[in-house]
Amino acid sequence: MADDKTPAADNPYTQTYVVQSGDTLSKIAQKYYGDASLYTKIFQANRDVLSDPNKISPGQKLRIP
Amino acid sequence: MKKPSFWVLSILAAVIITACANQRGPAEQAVTAAESALTNIRDMANRYAPDQLQAVDAQLNGVKDSLAKGDYKGVMAAMPALNTAISNLKDTATANQQAAEAASAKAKDAWGPLSSDVPKMVDAISSRVDILSKSHHLPKGVTKDTLAAAKSGLDSMKSAWSDASNAATSGDYTTAVTKGQAVKDQASQIMQSLGMKS
Repeated sequence: MADDKTPAADNPYTQTYVVQSGDTLSKIAQKYYGDASLYTKIFQANRDVLSDPNKISPGQKLRIP
Repeated sequence: MKKPSFWVLSILAAVIITACANQRGPAEQAVTAAESALTNIRDMANRYAPDQLQAVDAQLNGVKDSLAKGDYKGVMAAMPALNTAISNLKDTATANQQAAEAASAKAKDAWGPLSSDVPKMVDAISSRVDILSKSHHLPKGVTKDTLAAAKSGLDSMKSAWSDASNAATSGDYTTAVTKGQAVKDQASQIMQSLGMKS
């Protein structure tokens, strides 16, 4: 379930990131939050395009809440 | 030298009194007309040209004093300037009212996008602040001070946004846009400081 403070999916002010080859949600969380363990926040915010936090593909555009 | 007779003085006094009495009616009518003209524009002038209204009021009071003292000639002499002042006041107030209405319409147009954007910006910041508050290490470029400033900024933005929204609700779009734009600028600055802008 998404965090209460997660912005709406169509919020244009939510930062986005395009997945690069070799990325994981943990790496992305480390980059944006300084803490890899917070990858679940990114996963929850992108449940509409991700079904498994371990499966992301290069070129995917993810919201970074 | 021979003194003027009683009858000559009496006739002269009668002529003067008659002349004054002849001016009294027109003087009273002129003052009443000026007062009426001023009453018709008072509300508008009070709102859109208060300083000028105050000056015209003082001018009118001076004329009324003259009328009360029976200085009808003085009243009639002062009327053209007073009427011009009232006319100028009306012109100024009307122009200011039109300018204010145009500014308000422009502000109302600007309020639409602001009222849509700012809450979304605040939501995005709120989410990021919440997540960063749970982080054991902050990302590169974000310090504890930056995060603390963002948190306090969120509180002040919410308060200021509430004020802006209330102003818009009451129809004061000029104030709403001024306050709303300040919140948007602050939000933009906080987003930048948290690395939310790529």
